[in-house]
Amino acid sequence: MALTQVSSNKCAGGFQKVFEHESTELKCKMKFAVYLPPKAETGKCPVLYWLSGLTCTEQNFITKAGGQLPAAEHGIIIVAPDTSPRGCNIEGEDENWDFGTGAGFYVDATEDPWKTNYRMYSYITEELPKLINANFSTNPDRMSISGHSMGGHGALVCALKNPGKYKAVSAFAPICNPMQCPWGQKAFSGYLGSDRSTWEAYDATVLAASYSGPQLDILIDQGRDDQFLSASQLLPDNLIAVCSEKKIPVVFRLQPGYDHSYFFIYSFMADHIKHHAKFLNA
Amino acid sequence: MDLFEIRGGTLDVIAEEAEHQDLSRESTTMESFNVTSDRGGRTTRDVSTFQRFSVDTNESLHFEPCEAITPSPTGAEDGNDEDDVFKEEGTESEIVKIRNRLQAKVAEMESFAGHLEEIFLTVEENFGRQEQHLEQHYNDVLQTLSQRYDERAAGLEEEKKGKLEALYTQLLSCGQAMDASKELIETAQEIYRTQDKRLFLKTVMPTIKSIEEFAKEESDLTLTTRLEFNTPLADLSDVKTMMDSINVVPAPSAPVINPQMPNSATQTSLRVCWSLFSDDTVEYYELYYRPVLEDKPADSTHTAQESKVKVKETHCTVTDLLPNAQYELWVTATNTTGISPASEKALYITVPSPPVIKRRECTSCTDAALIRWESGNTNPVDSYTVELSEMGTDDTQSSVTESIVAVPTCQCLIQLQSGRRYLISVRAVNIGGPSDRSEVITVSTTGTFFYLLEDTAHPCLSISEDGFTMFYGDEELPISAMGLDDNTFARCVAVLGDLIPVRGRHYWEVEVDDGSEYRIGVAYEDTERNSYLGAKTTSWCMRHILTPSRHKYEFLHNGWSPDLRITVNPLRIGVALDYERGTLSFFNVDLEQHLHTFQCHFRNYIHPCFSLDNPGALTVHNGIEAPEYAFI
Repeated sequence: MALTQVSSNKCAGGFQKVFEHESTELKCKMKFAVYLPPKAETGKCPVLYWLSGLTCTEQNFITKAGGQLPAAEHGIIIVAPDTSPRGCNIEGEDENWDFGTGAGFYVDATEDPWKTNYRMYSYITEELPKLINANFSTNPDRMSISGHSMGGHGALVCALKNPGKYKAVSAFAPICNPMQCPWGQKAFSGYLGSDRSTWEAYDATVLAASYSGPQLDILIDQGRDDQFLSASQLLPDNLIAVCSEKKIPVVFRLQPGYDHSYFFIYSFMADHIKHHAKFLNA
Repeated sequence: MDLFEIRGGTLDVIAEEAEHQDLSRESTTMESFNVTSDRGGRTTRDVSTFQRFSVDTNESLHFEPCEAITPSPTGAEDGNDEDDVFKEEGTESEIVKIRNRLQAKVAEMESFAGHLEEIFLTVEENFGRQEQHLEQHYNDVLQTLSQRYDERAAGLEEEKKGKLEALYTQLLSCGQAMDASKELIETAQEIYRTQDKRLFLKTVMPTIKSIEEFAKEESDLTLTTRLEFNTPLADLSDVKTMMDSINVVPAPSAPVINPQMPNSATQTSLRVCWSLFSDDTVEYYELYYRPVLEDKPADSTHTAQESKVKVKETHCTVTDLLPNAQYELWVTATNTTGISPASEKALYITVPSPPVIKRRECTSCTDAALIRWESGNTNPVDSYTVELSEMGTDDTQSSVTESIVAVPTCQCLIQLQSGRRYLISVRAVNIGGPSDRSEVITVSTTGTFFYLLEDTAHPCLSISEDGFTMFYGDEELPISAMGLDDNTFARCVAVLGDLIPVRGRHYWEVEVDDGSEYRIGVAYEDTERNSYLGAKTTSWCMRHILTPSRHKYEFLHNGWSPDLRITVNPLRIGVALDYERGTLSFFNVDLEQHLHTFQCHFRNYIHPCFSLDNPGALTVHNGIEAPEYAFI
């Protein structure tokens, strides 16, 4: 598994790098960004996986989210992969901004023509960690996951489906109950087919209801002035209700005045990294 | 006085000049800086004394004359560069040490000089008295003698007068007798010469008769008085006794009572010493003492009770006294002759009673403790000494005790090390010495520890015996219980905690019921007592509200809270306060879950605050080591 470095910039005392590799799950070239804190030069660091949202690439997080400074402070490596396979030449992949390219939804698709390449769930949970652990100074036991919007959905789903694998989880304006919102319904029917029971495996709200495993501690920030919140795409109340019922610890913060953008993410990134550090550095 | 004698004597005087003389005997001048001008090829010793200053007892600053045969490279004429005072690093500390020693010696000397003065005065007085006494004595004797002389002289005068009178009287009667004889004779002669014979015959016979009668009279020719004078024995026996008494041992002179020796007193006793500065013989001493009363009464009829002790030695321990009380003492010496005048009155003071530590008002954190106590004495004391010693892990007390002296008020903030246990006690100190130790308080520096400020509690809030659980009962309190106390919370059923005023990190936990509505956080001491916690800028708190459908949580400051949802209700809440960073964080301790952090700038010291918004209970747990996640 050869990695090619695409770029490297010194940042916050460490290095913000971008690599490219040939992915076996996705069967195409994939780029991902890696932030290496100063501590990585001398020792092993835990890894935070950041999953971006609809239309994003590996660039959005590293240029807009402001994660490098807190990562350097807490000595955490941040890996930010792309949001879907690229250049697979699948018909219809570029027709919609919320389905296909840039909208992988972190599932392993079962429907044609998506099922060959659109295996973002396995990529994120299997292939990428192996790759990272083999090529960087990491502490393989200490991984955590976070994301925004679709990436938030991905983070929650990965954490709930893999009890104990991720030491911490957090999300920014996540899609909490995709089965009940337009985005989710569109994506799931395209990737997974019309049988709704297959959708449950990728719905955080449903997964929470049947979660059993090590205790989680979920931090969710949501902008109150988020247009998608009011458009009922995100549905955090559903998740909160289930978590309250099932006693899954969640702290959900509704931030007044904030929208869905990376300006919102930037504002609370430090809090989230501190949240992850508590578990990754414990 | 030869300076050489002082040097090394008990007074240990600075003997700069002595040094000077010593060394400059070898050199030829008395100047402090001896310059040798002739350099070239000298074989004789170059004696140069480079003295900045010299003190008797410190060798490092005492420069021996050195041999400088070759000129010094820098061309300095003293040839003594290597001994440059300022090159030595240790010199400065030496200087400080010497200075301190000198200061102590000066203080000693001053007090010694003071005592000497007193002694001189008393001796002068004593000798003055003796002189006076002597003068008087001899004056008395002289007076008596002259009195006797006068008496005797007057006696003699009298006698003389008496005798002279007697003789004179005799003389007169003799004269009279002679005159009478003369008359008769003249009469007789006249008769004899008379021509008239008849007349002659008539008168001759009676005249002869009267002459015959007269001749028969015996004239007494003996002196009526003796010529010698009476010289009775002078009765000078009393003069003799007076003279004798001059040689008798006089009554003693006044003794000199010593000032109070440090550490010689206890709470109820005083050790008093005195001395006699004369060669008087003394049979016994009597020591008088009476307490010095605080209030000087207008009339002197109410003076304090005077007591007296008879002792043979020149010291005495007076017992049964009150602690921290001043006593006036004086002493007289008595021998067979009489009692000396009283010595000067000395003021002694007994040692104070030990203070009483106010356990519920002591607070601590990981690196300090604030101890408060009551004086334990009705009258003021001079200062307090706080003593602390560490307890080892095996529960043995360290033998090392650290003391903090000259604490002026009844509280002390002590710097400590974290993760240890200390035993702390306090003593009260006055001129008499330190009191016994107060009862010991154990302070543990594992975490922040505090009691509640029960004075601030709302009347409806009752606090348990141990001081850590509070209850808001269902019962209605009568209006009378709602006091007009400015310090208690009047609307919010709240109470403040007594956090140690140290601007570091503090952590405590609060245990709550699932069903109680509460506010937990921090507030300034002067937060408004008639407003709710979190409503103003003077307090920050986490608030739990119970609605029919769910639990609601707010993090209030100045009436504003962020909007958040918490899915698992915390039953044990950790509160972490960091003054430096200006943060106040809340955690669900059971889940180790962070709930919220306030960013604030604390302008003053902050107190934990707790309130119950509906009947229920709440328990404070402190003295806990803060978990790692509390202060990331």
